[in-house]
This record gives sequence, structure tokens and C-alpha cells, in this order.
Amino acid sequence: MQKSIADTFRLPVRLVCLIGAVLCLLPLPGKDALLVIVPALSPFVAVSSILAAKTIQPILALGLVIGLVAIFRHRFFCRWVCPLGLCLDAASRLAQRLRRKPCQTISIGRWLLALTLGGAILGCPLFLFSDPLALFTGLFLLSEKNHLLTGAVSFLLVTLLLICSLLWPHIWCRGLCPLGAFQDLLSKMSRTFRSIRKSAPDLPARTSSEYPVARRTVLGLIAGTASAGILRLTHRETSAPLRPPGAADEMTFRGLCTRCGNCIRACPHDIIRRDTTRHGLTSTLTPILNFDKDYCREDCISCTNVCPSGALMGVDLDKKPDIKIGMARVDMNLCLLGKDRECTACMRWCHYNAIRYVFKEAQYSLVPVIDPAKCNGCGACEVACPTTPQKAIRVLPATKSSS
Amino acid sequence: MKDLMTRRDCLRIMGMSGFGIGTGLLIDKQLLAKDIGESGFQSSVIAPNKVRDNRSSAVLIDGKVIQPRRQLPVLTETDVLVVGGGPAGIAAAIAAKRAGAKVTIIERYGHFGGLWTGGLVLLILGHIAKGPKQVCQGIGEEMMRRLDKMNGAIIDRKPGSNPTVDAEAVKYLMVEMIEEADVQVFLHCWGVDAVVHQNSIRGAVLESKSGRQAIVAKVVIDATGDGDIFAAAGAQFEHRSHNIGLVSRIGNLDRVDKDKTSETQKPRRLGSPTPVPGVNWVNLTGPEVDGLDIATLTRMEMKHRKYIWNKMQKIRSTPGYDKVYLLETAPQIGVRVTRILNGLKTVKVDDIKNSTQYPDVIGVGGASYAEHGQWQIPYGALIPKNVDNVLAAGRCISCDLRMADLVRLIPNCFVTGQAAGVAAAVSARDRCRPRDADITKIQKILRQQEAYLG
Repeated sequence: MQKSIADTFRLPVRLVCLIGAVLCLLPLPGKDALLVIVPALSPFVAVSSILAAKTIQPILALGLVIGLVAIFRHRFFCRWVCPLGLCLDAASRLAQRLRRKPCQTISIGRWLLALTLGGAILGCPLFLFSDPLALFTGLFLLSEKNHLLTGAVSFLLVTLLLICSLLWPHIWCRGLCPLGAFQDLLSKMSRTFRSIRKSAPDLPARTSSEYPVARRTVLGLIAGTASAGILRLTHRETSAPLRPPGAADEMTFRGLCTRCGNCIRACPHDIIRRDTTRHGLTSTLTPILNFDKDYCREDCISCTNVCPSGALMGVDLDKKPDIKIGMARVDMNLCLLGKDRECTACMRWCHYNAIRYVFKEAQYSLVPVIDPAKCNGCGACEVACPTTPQKAIRVLPATKSSS
Repeated sequence: MKDLMTRRDCLRIMGMSGFGIGTGLLIDKQLLAKDIGESGFQSSVIAPNKVRDNRSSAVLIDGKVIQPRRQLPVLTETDVLVVGGGPAGIAAAIAAKRAGAKVTIIERYGHFGGLWTGGLVLLILGHIAKGPKQVCQGIGEEMMRRLDKMNGAIIDRKPGSNPTVDAEAVKYLMVEMIEEADVQVFLHCWGVDAVVHQNSIRGAVLESKSGRQAIVAKVVIDATGDGDIFAAAGAQFEHRSHNIGLVSRIGNLDRVDKDKTSETQKPRRLGSPTPVPGVNWVNLTGPEVDGLDIATLTRMEMKHRKYIWNKMQKIRSTPGYDKVYLLETAPQIGVRVTRILNGLKTVKVDDIKNSTQYPDVIGVGGASYAEHGQWQIPYGALIPKNVDNVLAAGRCISCDLRMADLVRLIPNCFVTGQAAGVAAAVSARDRCRPRDADITKIQKILRQQEAYLG
């Protein structure tokens, strides 16, 4: 009886969840706070974030609760909530009607999961961006007309998954999805745990079949940790781009960022862009700052409020002066003051009083001097600088400028 | 009688003296006719054996120098007295006169234009803002248009760019405009003190070759740049330091042979072009010091002069640059900011960020290089908090530290000058204190005078 009731209600509940998710993510004015809900539901993201950042952001509670439920109800999230799952399920069912055989053999999701969690131990979850909720959220970046091109990448990815589902029904949910694999792992672990407690004879067949799985998981974890270690060792600090405020350290950020595009959408001044591969393959589609038109305002922490994974850690507005985005640097070959011209633009726009003009006897002119303790790299000076085409004052990543 | 002169000698002497007297009479007649001698310098005695009454001179009493009380001759009485003939002062005088007031302007140098001409700050910065609108209109723009029509007076006059003028053309134009407006002028007068009655100004004291005199006025506009008059009257102000430089002009840049030297060895700081072909003006920022301290000003003048000369020697020793020469250093040292009025309102940097709208707006300021939007200047920024009948115009109006560098730009001096002129004329006519003047009337007249109020 129970099963049939569940079956009756499943589709309506899933539809409601899908509509709810879409409503949360639609670009309606004044509801940026809702953006974070959908991608934050993933326990895969939550656990990886805790492992990698070694801190717990309040928003991760959502994912942890879902994870807790998944321990007791196997794949509860997939069966009842997942909005991407519903879309792909629809495609898969259509394909099954067209007599395509469901995919059974692939188990890439498990490896994605193990590698990611392994990497997370060393602060760099490798494949966190393959989280289905992040993929689904990324779709909505298309609603920003300034980001159509980079937003289309997320759209193409989901379209690709739909096509795959048509060709090989259920390939994502059963074989590729790391979130699904994570729920499998959770329920298996709880069953194993229960079976040990209840004494072995109750569940004799299962335990033996789980050994290879456990071995593979451990292998994946080790491989993930090793890869993360290699990435960290080979990462050159000079290739670090400017990140939004509150960003974790560069490699952790690259791993933790789910590429959901929330920060880009939440930024009221449109200074966040998606990175192309300019800063290395691992930085692809991550958010970088662009001070061409505007700067990171002193009265704004919108992006940190909508990050589901803790890649951008929560920032208090009154702490913003201490959150270092980068450090302003002056090129005296371009600066108007170096050419005896009259300009006070950068000093005027510096909210933190970090710029002073000091008369240097040797050059017999003023030189802008930046106080590294006060400069947080907000980019106001860079926006204000009147030199073209290249700005005389530019914000560089703090690590780079300190060297 | 050998020592007696011979008859011939006598005749010769008589003849020569006769010729001399005759020629003398002839020249004298010419003098009467033409007023100026052709054969040499001429001087006349205005008063012989004159002794000045020294009872009002300073005296030494117990080692202290004491200036006794004395009555000052009143040079003139007027409705609006403008102290300072820079961009702000000229705009104020013309605007007040056009608004119907009797106007007198005094200027410490022998020409108008202040730092614009005497300081050789030839570049017009700040009359544009982000967007298509030129924010400095009114008398400032009228001057630009007239400079357009003069030959070789202004370059780079196109929308969105900062023009450069010729100082002599501006000096000439300002004389022309002041004469057209029929403003009473006294040059070579240094406004040194205020005539104060209780908490209000009733005129100004000036020092010149004619001695210490006073001009009595209904409203005084302090366009001295340093706020000399409102400070003397006891108005509250902020004393600031700023960079003091000295501008120079260099010539023969059209005769440089650039092929003679490599790219890296070429002198870089050669300034920017002026309307005079081959001549650049070279700005200098200089150290941040107190522009009200005479010892500092002296030190700066001498230090900069040495630097400019030595730099020119270096430039000339570069192959191909040997014909470049130092045309002049500015007669007036480049003091940027000294006293800033504590006004009823203050122009703040947040006004730009927030696009603050003032109900008592009297002008709109721009950006040096159109890098940001326009900002409004409230009437209250010209009015001292605690002294009446004096209005500040130009770089010394009430503004915060970061806005001073925008407020002091030439176009903004036109804008605040014109507004102060109109406001002074209105309060003189309505017999009220400037702070009580009808702001809608001031704004209406400003608009009639083609000022832009946002």
C-alpha cells in the first residue's frame, strides 16, 4: 500500500520541487537571497566544503540535513527533490519508450565522488563542479544578458546530459552523478554500520559484495588526495586571478567553486566574470573580478551571501575593509603624476584612505603611495584612473604584489 | 687782455646758446602738442618737498611693533566688491554687474586671470563629466567662445576634451569683458583686511602704491583663493597644506631633431602643447606645504626655479634638443589649496557617488578627465557660518579634503564665481544678508545668464 501511495505522489512532489527550484533561481528583483537555496541543498557540496575549508559555513546546514535524511532513506533526494534529475528522468523515460536500453554498467559517479572527497582532504575538491544542483543553477546564468556567452557553457553541459539521457537512459543518475554516488555511499555505510551492530548473520550476502566497493572508494580517495597534492605543488601563485571578496585560498577556491554562477548574478555592479582558461584549466568558469566599469563596493557583500559551497566565505559588512581582494599597484610610466600632469582621481575614490601622494625629490614629482594595510583591492582606484587604454593603477592579486 | 674772450669767441657762444634755446623752445612746443618727448625721457614734479604724515606709521614700543589706529581714505563705495581677479573674481564681477549691481573689482597683479594666466595653468580641466553634457556653462563658456574667435588663443576646443589657452589672450579678453561690463577696476591692489561691523563685512581694506585704502561695499566676494578676506573678518575656515609648484613654458619644441637620440634617452617630461607653436607648458606638482607661510613660499619659489633651470640644461644637453629653451617661469607660484571656508554647506565626495541633489544648487562641477559624473554645488558652500555679507568664490569655498582638488579647477571657479556674483547682486538689491537671499531668484538669474544648474 505504502509504495503505491509514494508512487502516486512522487511525480506531483517532484514537479513542485522543480517549479520551486526554478522560482528560486529566476531573476526576479529583490530575491537574490533565494539564489543560494537550490545549490546549497547538496550534501556532496556540504561535506566537501567542510573537508576542504576546515570551517562550517551556516549555509551548509541545508546540505547536511539532506545528507542526514539520505543516510536513512536511500537516494531520498534523487527520488523526491532533485530538479535536474526530473528533467533527465523525463528524457530517459522518453528514450525508454523509444526502446533504448537503460544504462547499467557505468560507475563514473563513484570515482568522481571519491576523487573529490580525497582532494577535499587536501583542500581541493577536484570535481565539485559536477554536482547536479550546481549544474542546474548554472543554467540560470543565461538570464544575465552580459554573461550570455559564458552562461551558454552551463546550458550546453545540461543539454549534453539531456542528449546522453536520450541515448543511454538514466546514465546520469545511475552512472555519472557524484551526488547520487554520495547518497549510495551514505546509505551503504549506514547499512554496514547497522549490520555490524546487529551481528553479521542478518545481512550475510551484502557485506561481501561491498568490499570491492570500499576498496575502490579508498583507492579513489587516495588518488584524489594525491592529485590535489600535485595540483597544489604545481600551482604557480602568479597565475592567480582576482577573486571576489571572502574567497578561500586559490587552490581551495578552484576546487570549492561549483561554477553555479550565483555570485555573478548577485553582483549588483556586474564586476564578476566567468574565467575562460586564461588562468589555467582548473580555473575554468570560476568567477574573477573585472574592474573595467565598476569596483567592489564598500557597502556590498552580495556575492558572499549566495555562495553555496563556502568558496566565498561569509563576510560581515563591517569587516569588509579587512577582506583583501588584492593590492593596488601603480605603474609610474603610465601615471599622469609621473608626467607632471594634474590628477587626484585614485586618491579621491579610495574609500579606505589607502592612497597618498608623496613628493619624491629624486623624480621631483608626486608619486602615489599605497598603504598595504589599508588597501583591500576593491578596485575603486582602477575604475577612477583616467589613463587609457591601460590603467596606471591596477589591482593585482595580493600574493603577487607582495612578492 | 689775454684772459678776456675774443669777440669771435663771444659771438660763437652767443650763437650756440641761441641755437640751444631755440631748439629747446621747439621741443617744448612739440611736448605741449604731443605730451611725450621724442628726444628722451621726461619727468615732472607732482609735488616738491613732500613729507608724508608718519603719525600712523608703526612704532616700536617696548620692543613691540605697534600700528596706531588711523582713518583710512575710502577709495570708493560700491554695491558689490570683488577681491581677486582670477577666474572666480572675473566671473563674479561680470555676473554681478549683469545682475544689476554696481561692481568694483580689485586685483593684486597688473593683469586678470590669477593662476590661469599669472600661474600659467593653461589647461582647462573639469568642465566635462561622464556623459555628453558640458557642465561649465555661463560666463566660463562665453569666455571659451570668445577665445575661439581670437586667433591662436585656444586649442583642443572639441566636445569631451580639455582645451589649452594662451595666457596673453586670456589677459586681453578679460580686460575686454570687464570693460564691456563696465566694472570699476583697481589693479595692483592687494586686499589685506576686511571692514567689519559686528558680525558682518562692510567692505575691504586694500594696500597698494597709493597706500592703505578702504572700499565700502554692501556685499564683498572673496575671490582671493586663499580666503584672505573672510579669514580677516573672522569667518571659520580650515587651514590646509597642499602641493605647491611652479609652472613654466619651454620653447622651440618644433625644432627638436628626434632622430639624433634614441627612444630611451629622449626627455619625457616636456609638458603639453599650447596655442603658441613649438611652445609647451610644463606643470609641476611640488611638495605638500603650507601656502600661507611666507618663508615656505619663498623657499618653494627658489627651489623650483633652480630645479626648472637645471632640468632645462639637461634637456638641452640631449642630442637634438639643443635648441629647446626655457621661455619663462610663471610669475605667480602655484599654490593649490590653503584656507577652505567652513560654510553653511559643504561639497562632499559622496555627492558624486550619491548624485546628491541640492535645492539651493547654484552650479554643477565636472571631472578632470570625464572619469566620473557631475556633482552639484550648493549655495550654502559659498556662505560663511558666522560672518555675513561676504561670499566665497573659487577654490576656497566649503568642501571636504578630497573635493578640494575638483573645486579648485578653473571651470568650477567660473561656476562658483558667477553664482557668488549673482547672489551678491540679489542681496545688495534686496538689502538682505546673502544667507537670506531668495535662492529661486538667484537660480532664475543664473539660468538667464546661461549657467547650468543640472
